Amino acid sequence: MTRLRITGGMVHDPANGIDGTVGDICIENGRIVATLPPDAPRLDARGLVVMPGGIDIHAHVASSSINQARRLLPEDHAGAPIAAPVLAHDDNGEVLIPRSGSGGVVPSTFTTGYRYAGLGYTTVFDAAVAPVSAREAHAQFDDTPIVDGGCYILMGNDALLHRQIAAGERERAREYVAWLLGVTRGYAIKVVNPGGIELWKRNVRAVGSLDDPVGDPRVTPRAIVETLADAATALGLPHPVHIHCNNLGLPGNVALTLDTMRALEGRRAHFTHLQFHAYGGAAGKWSSGARQITDYLATHPEASGDVGQVLFGNACTVTADGAVEYLLHASSGRKWVNVDVEVETGCGVVPYTYRDRAAVSALQWAIGLELFLLSPDPWRLVLSTDHPNGASFLSYPQLIRLLMDRSYRDAQLATVNQKLLAGSALADGIAREYSLNEIAIVTRAGPARLLGLTTKGHLGVGADADITLYAPDADRARMFETPRHVIKGGTLVVEEGQLRRAPAGARHHVRPTYDRAIERTVREFADRYFSVSLENYGA
Amino acid sequence: MTDHVVEHATCLGCGCACDDITVVVREDRIVEPERACSLGRLWFGTGAVPARVRTEGARDVPLASALDAAATLLRDAARPLVYLSADISCEAQRTAIAVADVLGAMLDSVTSGTAGTGVLAAQRRGRASATLGEVRNRADGVVFWGVDPAIRYPRFASRYAPDPVGLYIPAGRRGRVVMAIDVGTDRAPADADHRVAFTTDEEVTAIELTRAAVIGRGAGGGSDSLAERTRALADGLRGVRYLAIVVDGEPVAGRDPRRAEAMLRLVEALNGPTRCVLVTLRAGGNRSGADAVMTWQTGYPMAVDFLRGAPRYRPEDGAAAQLARGEIDTVLVVGSPLALPDEVRARLGAAGHRIAIGPRASESPYETDVAIDTGIAGIHEAGTATRMDDIPLPLRPALRVPSLCDTAATLRTLAARLVAGRAARRPEVA
Repeated sequence: MTRLRITGGMVHDPANGIDGTVGDICIENGRIVATLPPDAPRLDARGLVVMPGGIDIHAHVASSSINQARRLLPEDHAGAPIAAPVLAHDDNGEVLIPRSGSGGVVPSTFTTGYRYAGLGYTTVFDAAVAPVSAREAHAQFDDTPIVDGGCYILMGNDALLHRQIAAGERERAREYVAWLLGVTRGYAIKVVNPGGIELWKRNVRAVGSLDDPVGDPRVTPRAIVETLADAATALGLPHPVHIHCNNLGLPGNVALTLDTMRALEGRRAHFTHLQFHAYGGAAGKWSSGARQITDYLATHPEASGDVGQVLFGNACTVTADGAVEYLLHASSGRKWVNVDVEVETGCGVVPYTYRDRAAVSALQWAIGLELFLLSPDPWRLVLSTDHPNGASFLSYPQLIRLLMDRSYRDAQLATVNQKLLAGSALADGIAREYSLNEIAIVTRAGPARLLGLTTKGHLGVGADADITLYAPDADRARMFETPRHVIKGGTLVVEEGQLRRAPAGARHHVRPTYDRAIERTVREFADRYFSVSLENYGA
Repeated sequence: MTDHVVEHATCLGCGCACDDITVVVREDRIVEPERACSLGRLWFGTGAVPARVRTEGARDVPLASALDAAATLLRDAARPLVYLSADISCEAQRTAIAVADVLGAMLDSVTSGTAGTGVLAAQRRGRASATLGEVRNRADGVVFWGVDPAIRYPRFASRYAPDPVGLYIPAGRRGRVVMAIDVGTDRAPADADHRVAFTTDEEVTAIELTRAAVIGRGAGGGSDSLAERTRALADGLRGVRYLAIVVDGEPVAGRDPRRAEAMLRLVEALNGPTRCVLVTLRAGGNRSGADAVMTWQTGYPMAVDFLRGAPRYRPEDGAAAQLARGEIDTVLVVGSPLALPDEVRARLGAAGHRIAIGPRASESPYETDVAIDTGIAGIHEAGTATRMDDIPLPLRPALRVPSLCDTAATLRTLAARLVAGRAARRPEVA
C-alpha cells in the first residue's frame, strides 16, 4: 500500500494542537502528506478515534538481561503458548514467516512485536543494554517485528568513565560516550544506580548519599550523573541522559531522588520509573513521596520522567541494578539471577507478584497513580510500567482506564490494603481524569518529544505514518486493548482488529562525532581489561 | 582467494570463544591459527571441508533439487524433529527455529543432551553469575571444582582466570587465591594454593555441608573428616572479596545429577557474606548461542515442541527420548553431524528419514536422504556466536569457498518453500 486516505476520524494529535477534530489523514510511501488524488484508496474512520502510534519510552524487550528473565520463567511461559498469527498473503514477493511464541510477563521476541502492534504501539525502546552485549540486543530487535526499536546504553558504572571522572577529565568523557554510542548502535545514555552497581560488586548494597565515593573520592553518584548529563547535551543527543536513580525500591529513597534532580538543576535529564524512587518513610513505615516529585517537576521544565506504574498481578523484575535484586530475593525468597557484567554494568532478575492485599504493593500502585494525577505536565511525565518490572506492557489499557475513569479507580482503591495509604493524596481523593488528548500525550506525543523523534508521535505532514484507530468505548481498557486498525510506516498491520501484516521495524540509533584521540585511550584500556578484542566489541 | 591473514578471528573450538586468533591462509588453506590452543588448532584444521549436495544413494544433485526433496520429506512427516548441532551461527540457528515453527516440529539442541541438567537447575533456582571478563577483572578467589580447565578449555586460565592482570587484580595470578577441589578422579589444577578432595559419593553432601557452614548452620563440632573439610572450605570461601566458582557444565561421568542445584544454592548463600559467582564451562561450536536464540524466539532454551502450533517445553522428553520411542519419523540435523551427543546419534536410525544441513553433512556417520554441506561458522561463514557466558562475538571467516552453501541462506530457502507449500495446501479463506 503506497497511498491511503483515512477519512472522517476524530483526530487526536496534540503535538499539532488537534484535539478530537474530525478530519482526514493522507498517507503516501510511509509518510503523512498534505493531500492525495481523489482516487486514492480510503479507510473509513468515521466514528473512530485516530492517534499517532504509541511509543514506549522505557521497556525491557531486547537485551541479554531480558533474555535471562525469559530463561528463568518456563513456568510462566507454559501457561501462555501463543500460536502464530494468520497473516495476509500480499503479492509482493516477500516471504514472511508468521511465528508462534510464548506469552506471560516476558514474551518471546516475535510475540512481543505482534502484541505491541496489537495494542497500537509502533515504537519501543529497550532501556538497558550492556555495551558488551549490544550485538545480542540488536539481534533480538531483529526478531521483534513491526515496531521500531532502539537501545539505551548502560554507562553509569563504566570503569573507564569512572577513571576519566577520577582524573578530572569530564569533557573527555563525552568523547568516550560518543564512541560508545556509535560502536553499540545506541540511541541514548542510560544510567542505572550511578556508582551503585560498582559498589554492589564490592558487596555494598545501598548508597548513602550522592557524594558517596565509588572507589576514588572524586567518583560519586553526583559526579557520574553530572558528567553524563553534560555529555548528552554537549553531543546534541536527541534524548537527554536517562537516569534510574540510586536505591530503587528502598523506603525513604525519595530524598536521594530529589537530591539527584537538584544536582542536575538547569540541565536536561530524564528520570525513569519514578514510582520506584518516590518512597518516603523508613522500613515498615513506607509512605508516598509522589507529591514531592511532582512539585519539583512543576518548577523545573528541564526535568522529565516516566512513571513505572505497578499493577497487581505477576511481574518480573529485571534490571542492571544487581543490588536491588539481591535485596528483593532476600526479602521475597523468590528465585534470583545475577550477572555481573565486565567493566560496565550488572544484571539481576527476580520474579515478583504485586498483591492488592499487600501493604507495600498497594502503596506502590497508589504512588504511581499519584504521579500521574498530580503531574503538572503530561508532556514531561509519561506512561510506562517499566515492563516487565511494574507490570507487563499488555496492562497499559488497564492503566489508561485507571487514569481516565475515576469511579473505576476509586472502586479499586477501596479494595486494596489501606495500611500505608492513610494521608496519601490518592486516599484523600483526586478528581482528575485524563482526557483522550492527555492519553495521546503520555503515550505518544510526550515520549516522542522527550526522545527527540521529530517524525514520530504526531500526524503532521512529513511524520511517519504510524497511526492507531480506536473504536470509542466507555470502558477505556477495552477501547485501548483492541484497536480497530493500526498502521505502521504506511502498512496496515492491524485490520479490523486482526493482526494481518508484520513488516520489520526500523532501528533508531545515533552516531555522534568525537575526537578520534579517544580511540587510543579506549584501546589502551581495552587491551588490558576487556575480555573481547576491541574490534569485536559493540554491535 | 589468495594468501591472506584474518585478525581477531573467533575460535569456537571450546566455549572460551577466544577472539584474538590471527588466521593465516595460504593457497586457500589455513596454515596457522596464531594464538590458538591445541583444541583451537584441531577446530580450525586446514579449513578443508566437503562441498557436496546429495540425495539418497549419495547422488550429487543441484541444491534446488535437494531442497525440494528435503521440503517434501519434512512436509510429509508426521512427527519431524529439527535438531541444532554445533558449528552454526546464531543467524543460522534463528532460521532453523523458524523451520521448526513452520513445521510444527520438535526442536532440540546439543544442550539438552549435555548441559541440560544445569540449565534446568538454574531455571528452578536462579543463578548468580558473571561474565568472564568480570571474573578476570575482579575475582580475588577462584575455585576450580572438579575440573582442570587445561584439559577441555585450554586458554581459560590465561585469558580469564586466574592468570591475567585484572582491573582490580593488578598482580594477576599472585593477587588471587586459587582453591582446587578434587572430586574422585576429576582433578582440579595442580598449581592451586589450597586443595580439598571429596569422593564422588561425598560431593553433593560436601556442597550442602559447605553451604550450611557458610550460613552458620554447620554441624557444630562434628569432627568427622567431611565436616572438618567442609568447615575449613567454607572459611576459605568466605575469606575472599569476590569469589568465582568454576564448574564444568558439560557431562562428567559418574556425577550425581543433584550436584548442579546444590552448587547453585552454595553460590547463592555465599552472596551475603561475600560476593560469589558461578562460572559454568561449556563446550564450543556456539552451543550456548542456541540456548540464547531458542530462549528469545520461543521462551525456552532447549527441548521445544511446536506440535500444537506454539512452543511447549519438553525438557524431560527431549529429542533423545522421543527418538528412542520411535516417535520421530523425519529428522533435520542442522550443524555438524559429528557433534551429536551419543544418545541422539545412536537413535537416529529409528527415524525413517534423515536430512543433514551443515558442515560435513555429506560425511554424516549415519545414512541421509538429503545432505547439504555448508561452511563452518567462524571458518567459512560470518555471523555471530556466543561465548559460554552469553557474550556475543562476531565471526570473521578466513575462507570463502564459492561452491559451499551458506547455512542460514540454505535454511531460509527451505523455510520459504515450506511456507509456500503450506499456503498452497491451505488456501486462506477470503
